[in-house]
Amino acid sequence: MASRSTPALKAPAGLQARMLMTFFLLGLVYVVLVAVLVAAKVYPLIIVVGILFVVQVLASDKIGLRAMGAHEVSPQEAPELHAMIERLCIQADIPKPKVGIVRTSMPNAFAMGRNQKTATVCVTTGIMEILSPAELEGVIAHELAHIRHRDVAIMTLASFFASIASMILQFGFLFGGGSSDSDDDSPSFAVVLLVSLAVYIVSFFLMQALSRYREFAADRGAAEITRRPSALASALMKISGTMDRIPQQDLRQNAHSELAAFYIASPGKKSLFELFATHPPMEKRIAELEKLERQMQGVA
Amino acid sequence: MGFLDSLLGRSRTAKPSKTDRLFAISTAYVTLQTSYGIVNAGKAGIVFQPLATSDFNAIVKDTEEVLRATGEETGTLVETTEDDFGYRWAVLQDDDVEDLVVGINAVKDALDTSGYGDRVLAAVFSFRDEAGKRIHLIYNVKRGSWYPFVPAPGRQARDNERELQLKAQLGGELPFEPELERWFPLWGVPL
Repeated sequence: MASRSTPALKAPAGLQARMLMTFFLLGLVYVVLVAVLVAAKVYPLIIVVGILFVVQVLASDKIGLRAMGAHEVSPQEAPELHAMIERLCIQADIPKPKVGIVRTSMPNAFAMGRNQKTATVCVTTGIMEILSPAELEGVIAHELAHIRHRDVAIMTLASFFASIASMILQFGFLFGGGSSDSDDDSPSFAVVLLVSLAVYIVSFFLMQALSRYREFAADRGAAEITRRPSALASALMKISGTMDRIPQQDLRQNAHSELAAFYIASPGKKSLFELFATHPPMEKRIAELEKLERQMQGVA
Repeated sequence: MGFLDSLLGRSRTAKPSKTDRLFAISTAYVTLQTSYGIVNAGKAGIVFQPLATSDFNAIVKDTEEVLRATGEETGTLVETTEDDFGYRWAVLQDDDVEDLVVGINAVKDALDTSGYGDRVLAAVFSFRDEAGKRIHLIYNVKRGSWYPFVPAPGRQARDNERELQLKAQLGGELPFEPELERWFPLWGVPL
C-alpha cells in the first residue's frame, strides 16, 4: 500500500538561500578576523580570549530556568499544558522537553537548551491567559520547532567569532601598547582593534538577520507540526496587541540569554528598524502564515 | 533530522514508521490473557489530528461508513469523538481483540492512502487486569513501537511500576519503545 503524505509546507521564498548566504558572509567576516589576529601575532591575546569564550559558553549552558525567571512545573501542577506538549511531541516525533512557567502578565514563550535532551519550553502565565488552546498549541509548536532546528546550538556557533571580537574590544586594551610596536611589518594593535570593531558590527547585523530567518523557519516548522497556521497567526496577533498595551518589562535578565533562549515574540524594546530586530515584524510573519494556510487548503 | 536540515531550519513532518508492528498485539494478547489474566476491556481507539481542509472530513466520514459496513459482520461498533485537546478519535468497540486490530488497521490504512497518514499519532488498546484495573497499550504509529500506559488514582498520575512489569512480561512479544522518555501518556483517552 503506497502511503502518500500531506504535502510539505514551503518556507518563504528564498529563505533558505538567504540563510546560507548569511552563514557564508559570517564565515567570511570571521576568516578576516582570524587572518588579522594571526598576522598581528597577538597569540597571548588569542589564547586568553579563547579561554574566556569557552568559559562563557559553558556558563551560558548553565543558565538555569531560575535565571530566566521560570520554574519547572510537573504534570500534576500543569496537567493541560503537559498533555498538550505530549501530543505535540508524539506528532513531531521528538522527546518531551522540560516544561516551565514564568509568572508575568507579559505574553511570551521561549525555548532553550543546546539539544533535544536538555531542551526546555517555557510559557508565561500571561500567554496562557490570553490565548485559546489551539493558539497556545501553535506557539508551543513554534518553540518545539526551534528545538528541532537546534537553533540555540546554531546561533551560539554562528556568534562564536563575534563574541571573540567583542571580547577583544572589551579586554584588548590590557594587551595593547606592548611588544607589537617592534620593527616587523605585522599590523599594529590599533589595526586589530579596528578590525575587531568592524567584525563585531557586521556580524551583529548578520546575526540579527539570521535570527529573523530562524523565526520564519520556526513558524513554518510549527505549521508543519500542527497544520494550523492560522491558529499561530491569530496567537501572534493577540500577543502583539497585548504587548503594546503592557509596559515593557524585559524578560531577559542577563546578556547571554538572547542566545540561550528563543522567544515567540521579541521580549525587548521594539527596534525602530527591522535591521536591528531579532524577530521579523508581526505583519510579515502573519502574512507568511497566511501563505502556509493557503498551501494547506490547496489554493496556493 | 540531518545536519543540513537543522542548519537550514527545515523540519520535516514525522512520517509513520516504515515497519508496521500494529498486529503484534494479537499474539501478545494471547499471553496477556493466558499467563497474566489480563483481558480485553472491549475498546480500542486511534487518535489523529483533525485537519480543516475540505477533503479531510469527507475521508474520515467515508472511513467510518466502510467500518460500519464491515462491522456488521464482526459486530464491531464505531464512533468518532473529539478529546479535550482537539484531537479526533475513532473508537471501536468489540469483545474480540482480533477484530479491533483489523478495524484500527483499516482506519490507519484509509488515512494513509488518502495522504493523511502522517497525522496519525497512536493507537490505543484497552485492557483490564484481574483486579479490574485499566491498562492501556499504546502503539506509537510514527515509531512503530508499543508502550504501556497505566493511569493511577490521582491527577495525571501513572503507575510506572505496573508499566515496567508489563514491559518485562511482554518484552519478548511486543516491540517495546526502548526510550522510556517516549512513553507519552495520553490523558483523556475516550476508552
